[in-house]
Amino acid sequence: MLKKLSQRDAALLLLLALPGILHFLVFRYIPLGGNVIAFQKYNLFKGFLESPWVGLDNFRQMFAYREFYQILRNTLLLSLYSILFGFPAPLVLALMLNEMRRMWLKRSVQTLLYLPHFLSWVIVGGIFVNMLTTEGFLNTVFGWFGIDRKDYMTDPAYFRTILVSTGIWKEVGWGTILYLAALAGINPNLYEAAMVDGAGRWRQMWSITLPSLLPAIVVLFLLRVGNVLDANVEQVLVFQNPLVREVGEVIDTYVYRIGLLGAQFSLTTAIGMFKSGIGLVLIVGLNAFSKRTTGESIY
Amino acid sequence: MPAYRSDRRFQLANDLFLVLVSLTMFAPLLHLAAVSLSAPEYVGAKLVTFWPRGFSLEVYRTIFGTSSLWRAMGVSVYITVVGTLLALLFTSTIAYSLSRPQMPLRGWILKGIVLTFVFSVPLIPSYLLVRTLQMDNTLWALMVPGALSAFNVFIMKTFFQGLSAELFDAAKMDGCSELGIYARIAIPLSSPVIATIGLFHAVGQWNSYFSALIYIKTKTLLPIQVLLRNLVVEDGLGSMSQIQTVDLSRTSTPEMMKAGILLFATLPILIVYPFLQKYFVKGAMLGSLKE
Repeated sequence: MLKKLSQRDAALLLLLALPGILHFLVFRYIPLGGNVIAFQKYNLFKGFLESPWVGLDNFRQMFAYREFYQILRNTLLLSLYSILFGFPAPLVLALMLNEMRRMWLKRSVQTLLYLPHFLSWVIVGGIFVNMLTTEGFLNTVFGWFGIDRKDYMTDPAYFRTILVSTGIWKEVGWGTILYLAALAGINPNLYEAAMVDGAGRWRQMWSITLPSLLPAIVVLFLLRVGNVLDANVEQVLVFQNPLVREVGEVIDTYVYRIGLLGAQFSLTTAIGMFKSGIGLVLIVGLNAFSKRTTGESIY
Repeated sequence: MPAYRSDRRFQLANDLFLVLVSLTMFAPLLHLAAVSLSAPEYVGAKLVTFWPRGFSLEVYRTIFGTSSLWRAMGVSVYITVVGTLLALLFTSTIAYSLSRPQMPLRGWILKGIVLTFVFSVPLIPSYLLVRTLQMDNTLWALMVPGALSAFNVFIMKTFFQGLSAELFDAAKMDGCSELGIYARIAIPLSSPVIATIGLFHAVGQWNSYFSALIYIKTKTLLPIQVLLRNLVVEDGLGSMSQIQTVDLSRTSTPEMMKAGILLFATLPILIVYPFLQKYFVKGAMLGSLKE
């Protein structure tokens, strides 16, 4: 009887999990298998069963394109700048928030800081595109200092600056949450002991706070670097326009524009595979490296 | 909490700086509001910053009278509500099963889900899959493919595992089936985690536009974010006319209309945000849980 009951339970549990399992199989694993069209000359009407196989032709074509190196460079530069400026920003902000003593003020400041995270990129884009045009607010402010009006949205020189700054504006507050949680977990006795030993504010930050945050920093950094070839498509597509495409086109938007809109399915799938391949190698490699050097890892 | 001898000047400078930074997060929205509520001559002369001048509700009268905007708003509300319910149902059922030791193949399924962390979903094959399933140009394409994430499944599974095992055993003794335990014990006890995951999903669903951009061709099925995107990106009057019946009369300028429409679409988020902030913050902390 008990055996029968547990069999029924097992069956029920499987049944309950079935929609979820199917979802993972269909929407996560089948698309991975769908990558085979990178080795085909895929034709929408023939499907992947009938489309002719072409071996590594698409990859050869990809590496032969001059344009490919351009978008690879764009993707890397955008990512590197956003890591360089965007990664430390929430850490610094969290350290500053941690120094606030007026709790009511701290809470209000946090409420405002988290807000942009919940706005869509379209809204954020709408706000900043407006501000950055010739007639925009930024030019008005710059005008007070005698700087000539110009259209920042259509000047390629400013594209990366705009993306990195709006990225920071939107996510910096939200990014502090994990650090603040880690900060709250530090044993206050450490600070008291340090103070008795005569350590000042900076010394305490250097010797207690930062080492305590190291695990969080390492894990977040690894995850970020693993995504170095991923761009935020929703962000880029809002700020991109034909005049800045030479710097603004990144792998993800290229796959969208040439692959989906231009129906070059096989070539862009090959590019996508190249991208995820690099990402995979980076995350596995860096994780192993970090495990050996700092003892921290993401899995 | 670091303990220093009180250093008032540092505190003051630090507080002041953070207040300024946090105000920059809010100021642009205030500017939009001011622009949309002013009279066109002040907006045209760039005299409006954070407070409306020549107060006028004309922009909102036009927006509220524009059926295509309401329709897009309706689509967004629909995909947010239905999509979130779908996500919660899918996530909670598989998470519950995986939290039970009796679950067959548990280890294998867990491994399979963990692997999806590592491999990102390729765009083109997913697009072709959605087409093959004939979900393209339906709202399902916006709700189903993203309904489950490994991350949410693990968060919920961890939560279920934290519930009292004795309670589950007692229910079992009384003849409750696994289905009964899921529906009558696990779910009612999990409102914090359900609220958190549901809210995150809802905000994501409300804000995203990329899937709608690639899957939806029928104009009447477009969510509000895509309409906004056309307004922002393609800029100017061309896309204004796409939102039919928007009347660009003397009572408002395109800039004012744009500001008004942007705010109109943000309103739902701005309304729920203050109340739900604590759930959001809790949710972000959940992310730091490690198996």
